[in-house]
Amino acid sequence: MTDIAAAPSRSRNVGFPAVLAVLGAAGCALPFLVQSPLLLTLMTQATINAVLATGVGFLLRQNGTVSFGHAAFFGLAAYATALLIKFGLPAELAIVLAVVLPTLLALLLGVVIVRITGVAFSMLTLAVAQAFHELFLKWRELANGDDGMAIAFPAKVFGLDIAIFQQPASMFLVCWLALVGVILGLWLLARSRFGTLTLAIRENEERARYIGYRTVLPRAIIYAISAAVCALGGLLFALYNGFVSPGTLHWSLSGEALIMAIIGGPRLIWGPALGGVIFFFIKNAAGDFTDHWPAVIGITLILVTVLLPRGVGGLLVWLGRRAGGGRGE
Amino acid sequence: MQTLWTRRATLAAAAVLATAGSVAAQEVIRIGVPTALTGTYADLGDQARRAVVFAVEEANAKGGVAGRKVEARFLDTEAKPDLARRQAEKLALEGFKLLTGTVASGEGLAMGPMLQRWDAIYVSTINKANQITGAACQPRMFRVNRLDASDGAVVTPWLAQRKEAKWAIMAADIAWGRDSGASFIKSAQANKRTIVSENYSPFGTNDFAPYIQKIKDSGAQGLWVALAGRDAINFATQARQFGLFDAVFTAGVSFVTDNTVKTLGEASKGIWGIINYSSTLDTPENKKFVADWAKKYPGTEPTNFEGETYIGMQVILQAVAKANSVKPADVAKALAGTTFDTILGKQLMRKEDHQLVGPNFFGNVGEKDGKLKPIITMSVPAETATPAPDPACKLPG
Repeated sequence: MTDIAAAPSRSRNVGFPAVLAVLGAAGCALPFLVQSPLLLTLMTQATINAVLATGVGFLLRQNGTVSFGHAAFFGLAAYATALLIKFGLPAELAIVLAVVLPTLLALLLGVVIVRITGVAFSMLTLAVAQAFHELFLKWRELANGDDGMAIAFPAKVFGLDIAIFQQPASMFLVCWLALVGVILGLWLLARSRFGTLTLAIRENEERARYIGYRTVLPRAIIYAISAAVCALGGLLFALYNGFVSPGTLHWSLSGEALIMAIIGGPRLIWGPALGGVIFFFIKNAAGDFTDHWPAVIGITLILVTVLLPRGVGGLLVWLGRRAGGGRGE
Repeated sequence: MQTLWTRRATLAAAAVLATAGSVAAQEVIRIGVPTALTGTYADLGDQARRAVVFAVEEANAKGGVAGRKVEARFLDTEAKPDLARRQAEKLALEGFKLLTGTVASGEGLAMGPMLQRWDAIYVSTINKANQITGAACQPRMFRVNRLDASDGAVVTPWLAQRKEAKWAIMAADIAWGRDSGASFIKSAQANKRTIVSENYSPFGTNDFAPYIQKIKDSGAQGLWVALAGRDAINFATQARQFGLFDAVFTAGVSFVTDNTVKTLGEASKGIWGIINYSSTLDTPENKKFVADWAKKYPGTEPTNFEGETYIGMQVILQAVAKANSVKPADVAKALAGTTFDTILGKQLMRKEDHQLVGPNFFGNVGEKDGKLKPIITMSVPAETATPAPDPACKLPG
C-alpha cells in the first residue's frame, strides 16, 4: 500500500480481520449451542442494538461529533420498509430502499449540518429527528400514529421464506453476520486514505483546509455512512419484529444508542457494538427485577465514564495487551 | 362434584407432582401480564396487577384450578405497542402463555397477530378498540370487557335525553381514543347533535391548555372526554383551573373512573360517563367479590378496571378447567362459544368474534356512603349493550 495512511505493523494488518473472522464464526455456532428460544430472541435484539450503536459510535470516532438523532435513520428505515410495502412496492425493492433512502437523506442533510460543530450540531440532529417522530406520531392516516403499524411482508423475500427473518435462531445469524460485515467494512474504511483524512479533519479542520482538502463533503459522507449503518439496524428490526411504531424514531432511542457507544468505547470501531450488547442485557436483567431499570443504566454509565473513560472495549484491549505483551487494536 | 376425599387425593397428587419438577412445570397455570407498570397508564396497569394477584391468590387458596396451581408474572410495557409485543413474547417464551391485563388497545392490536407464533392466547380486559374483535380479530385473541361500540350503544339513548346541541370531543390520539371519538360522533348524528370541535392529544400529554382554550372558543355546550390514567388527571386538573367544567356539560369514558374521582375530588362531582363495572352492582357474586376484595386490600373497593380484569381471570381459569389443559390451543378452544360464570352473571364468549356478551352502565359522580364515586343511573342489559358481531371479523371455524 502506498497511501498516506500510517502503515501499521504487518501483524496488525491481518490480526483484526482474523479475530473478527473467529468471532464471526463463533457467533454462527451459537444458535446451534443455545437451545432456549428466549435467549436467542434476546441475543437477536441485542445484535440489532449493536448495529445501531456501531453507527452512532462511528460518527463519534471519525467526525468527533455527537448525534442525538440517529434513531431517526433507524426508525425511517423501519417505516420505509412498512410504508413502501403498504404502497405496493415489491418487498425486495422496499428493503433495499429502506437503507438507501435514509442514507441519501443523511447525505443531503449532512452537507448542511456538518458545517456546524459542537452542541449546536447535536441540537440540530435532535431537532431533525424529533420532526420525523412528530410526523409519524401525528399523521395517523399514513402510519397509524402512536399505535404503530404491522408490516405486511409477503411469504417469500429474495426467494427466502420470511420465517427465516422472524425465527430467532436464523435471524440471529443474519443479524450477527450483518454486524460482523459492518464492523469489517468500517474498519477497512477507517484505515483507508479517506478514513485517515476524516481523522485529520476531526483533529484540525482548518489545517486540513489549508493543506488543500475539501472538508465538508468527507464529513458529510461519514455522517451518511453512520446513518446507513443505523438504517441497516432499522431494517433488521423491521424484518424481525414485523411491526413499527414512532418509538423507533424517538430521541430516547438516540440517547440510548449514544450510551451504548460510550459504555463500549467509541474510540474502537467495535466498541459501541460491545456496548450495545452489554446495554441490552443490563436493561433486560434489571427490568426483570425492578421498574427502575433506567437507574441501573445510569449508574453503569457513571461508573464507565469515571472508571473506564475508554469504555469496556478499551479495558479489554488493555487487558489483551498486558496478557500478550503485544500492541492490540 | 368432587367429594372431600377425592379433592384431598388430588391435592396430594398435586403435591407429589410439584416435587417432581418438570412434570409440575406442565401442570402450573401460568398467567403472563404484559401491562403498563410505569408511564401515563401506570395507574391502570396497577389495577390490572392487583386484580390478577387477587384472582391468583383466591384460586390457590382453594387448592388451585382442578388441582393446578396458578402463577402470574408481570412485565412493564409502558403502554407502548412495540414494547408490549416484546414483553409478551418474553412472557410466552418463559412459559407464561395465557396473556391478559394489557392496557392500551394499540398493545393488544400489536400482540394479536403474533399469538400463533408464540403459541399463546390473549384475553383483553381493558382494550376497548372495536378492531380487537372486529377487522383485526384473531383466533387466539379474546375480549371480556366492553368495546367502544358497546359504549356507543349506551351513549346514544342517553344523549337523546340531553338538551345540549353542540358538542366537543377531547380524546387520546391512540386507537382507543380515536375509536371512542368516532363512536360518539355516530351517537351524536343519530340524535341530530353537532360536533363543533374535535381534539386528539398525544398519549402522555402534559399541557392541555391549547385544547381547553379551543373547546371554550368553539361554543360547545357539551364535552365528550376519552382520556385515561395520567392524561385524564392532567386534563381534568387543568380544565378545572380554566373553569371549563362550569362552562360546558361534561361526560366521558374511562374518565370518571374510581381512581380519577379519588384524585379530582369535588371537581368531578356531576360529571357523567360510561361505567363498565361498579362495585355497587347488586348481584350475589359481585357482593361476595367486593367483600373478599376488602379482606385482601383493606379499606378499598374494586375499581372498574379491577372488576373487569377479575372477570378476565374468572373466564381464563374456568376455560382451563373446562379444557382440563393449560395448553393455549386447548384453552382457546374451551373459550370460544362457552358461557362463563362471572361476577356480572352468566356471560357468553361469542365464537363469531370472541367478544364476551355483557351488560353496560351509565351514571355520574355522586356521593355514596360519604364517599364520592361513580354511581350507576342507567343499566343496559347484555343483549342490547353488546352489538352484534362485526362482519369484518372472519374467524376460521
